[in-house]
Amino acid sequence: MQNYDLEIAKEVLRIRLSQMIVNEKYKEGVFKIPIHLAMGHEAIAVAVSSVMQGDDQLLVSHRNIHYNLARTKALNPELDEYLLRENGLAGGQLGSMNLANEEKNIVYASSILGNNLPVASGLALAKKVKREKSIVIVETGDGAIEEGAFYESLLFMKSNNLSVLIVIENNGWSLATKIKERRCDINLDKIAEALSVKYEKLSSNNVYEYIDKLKFLKEYSLENKIPVIVEVELTTLGGWHLKTPENPEGRFINYHAGPAPEINLENGPEIESSENDPVFVLAKLFEKDVFQKMSQEILGELRKETER
Amino acid sequence: MKYVEYINELIRNKILEKEKIVVFGQNIAAGSCLGGLTRNLKVREGGLIINTQNSENTLCGVGFGLMLGKVASIYFMKQQDFLLLGIDQLVNTYNFIRRKNPETSFTIFPIIVDNGYQGLQSSLNNFGDFCSIARVPGFAVTNKADAEKIINSQLLSPGFRIIGVSQRLFGQKVLDAKPVYINQEGTVFQYKEGKRATIACFNFSFSYGLGLQERLKEKGLESSLFSVNSMTRTNWSRIIEDAGETQNLILIDDSKSENLSCYALASDIMSQCQLKNKIIVKRELSKNWLWPNPDLLEIDYKKIIEQLS
Ligand SMILES: Cc1ncc(C[n+]2csc(CCOP(=O)(O)OP(=O)(O)O)c2C)c(N)n1
Ligand SMILES: [Mg+2]
Repeated sequence: MQNYDLEIAKEVLRIRLSQMIVNEKYKEGVFKIPIHLAMGHEAIAVAVSSVMQGDDQLLVSHRNIHYNLARTKALNPELDEYLLRENGLAGGQLGSMNLANEEKNIVYASSILGNNLPVASGLALAKKVKREKSIVIVETGDGAIEEGAFYESLLFMKSNNLSVLIVIENNGWSLATKIKERRCDINLDKIAEALSVKYEKLSSNNVYEYIDKLKFLKEYSLENKIPVIVEVELTTLGGWHLKTPENPEGRFINYHAGPAPEINLENGPEIESSENDPVFVLAKLFEKDVFQKMSQEILGELRKETER
Repeated sequence: MKYVEYINELIRNKILEKEKIVVFGQNIAAGSCLGGLTRNLKVREGGLIINTQNSENTLCGVGFGLMLGKVASIYFMKQQDFLLLGIDQLVNTYNFIRRKNPETSFTIFPIIVDNGYQGLQSSLNNFGDFCSIARVPGFAVTNKADAEKIINSQLLSPGFRIIGVSQRLFGQKVLDAKPVYINQEGTVFQYKEGKRATIACFNFSFSYGLGLQERLKEKGLESSLFSVNSMTRTNWSRIIEDAGETQNLILIDDSKSENLSCYALASDIMSQCQLKNKIIVKRELSKNWLWPNPDLLEIDYKKIIEQLS
């Protein structure tokens, strides 16, 4: 087997298991605020965080737990924030949908779709004025790109020669509606081409491939002073079945926010035995017992961290 | 000197004080340069003047992004109604930033289109509503004294605010009245002192107030004249005191809002003073408000004089 960086694999597992712990608490009903879990989004979050250096800045959306875990490298500060405690990551002021961590360069988070793209444009312009050679990375969703701010900001970034990576998490859903059911396809490749910005699609859920690609794209964006659209095809895991007497099989409900009732921590970190699950993809790269041991160790550490 | 020329000069000088400032907006360095407002702007080396694309929502967000990136900026805007497209940024984005008392300045500088004949679009004269909805400071520039005070103290100060100028006044000679008092916040100006009435002007109605003060004087009625240049509640204790003495209050507000800024002062005064007369001069929107019309604030001077005599 190829030699993969173990620390990266551990990060994917830590972010998965941390979210599963949040989910267990969520099922118990301890949170008053809405939280958008991002199980299935771990590979891109780990990749983004690991290509960030120095003064690079990240802006996130309402679904940001994976990025916050990746940057903060701890679970308790998030948990405390979700419980609106004073010792939470943002003193209990931001909760989940606006959770940023300025010390770790998550400089802005917005619960308003598309709202962070203009702000990213301004941050990138500030870097241009200050002649800083670092990048702005902004994360958004396939629902959010329906907002006009997406187009406006792309135009602004390109017109002003700004270095920005625009990471679009394409999960095929916007709240309770399948994207396909209510709008035409958006061919981002063509939009990028029309504005002469660069485009790349990521869909393997392989964190190592994502890191290599993002490293290259970041350099490309900085050297050419150009925005890059990175479309990431992924699956938000945690969909469940609403069983009623009329429909004992259960009707499928996609996961948007709240607890994921059919996901259980005791079943281990893998949620789906398919390429939809970055943990499944990761596990294939390692010997089974090595992977299991790694996972158990991380879970042990997280249990220790959170037992209070 | 014309109102717009005077303001342009103040802006040009102020901008040169700041290193690495970004001045941006649509057509700010082309054509008439927003009717002269942004003519001949220059920034120091390292700064930028950007003649931008037409994307108001994004442009508002850009200002806040610059603020987060610690670069001061000013966004000039030809008509306040364009700012409707950026309200999300004013409210939601600034709420995130203001938690931490920002050290950097961002100013949006719109022209309020109050000159008439604009029809159903472009006649938005509701400056106070923007400030209220976003809970942000707003300053109206109406004459030489307040222009100097507001531009010099607010244009580049840390935090976010909106500074508005009146299209109606652009080509007129800039009014030159000497203040006898300015509150500490630089939001309430007193120009005349008199025992018979208290006149307080809101939004861009100072010129009407000055006219009224002069007419009253001709009739031997000396009045105090104030201008409230803030769009939201401010320290106006001096006006309350004055109204308590004169017992005759005249409020003039030429905004088109349903929630006039002057109502807050009226309620403060009524709860603290016994008045003989309370006159509010405001717009009565006629049936043709959706058609192009002169759109002037109408004041029945004769009636006011009769009431006070
Ligand atoms: C301007 C705005 N409109 C609507 C919403 C309500 N809303 C919250 S999340 C969401 C779905 C967003 O879809 P997407 O951007 O794809 O993110 P996902 O939740 O799928 O990760 C919607 C419609 C909002 N937050 N902001
Ligand atoms: Mg989506």
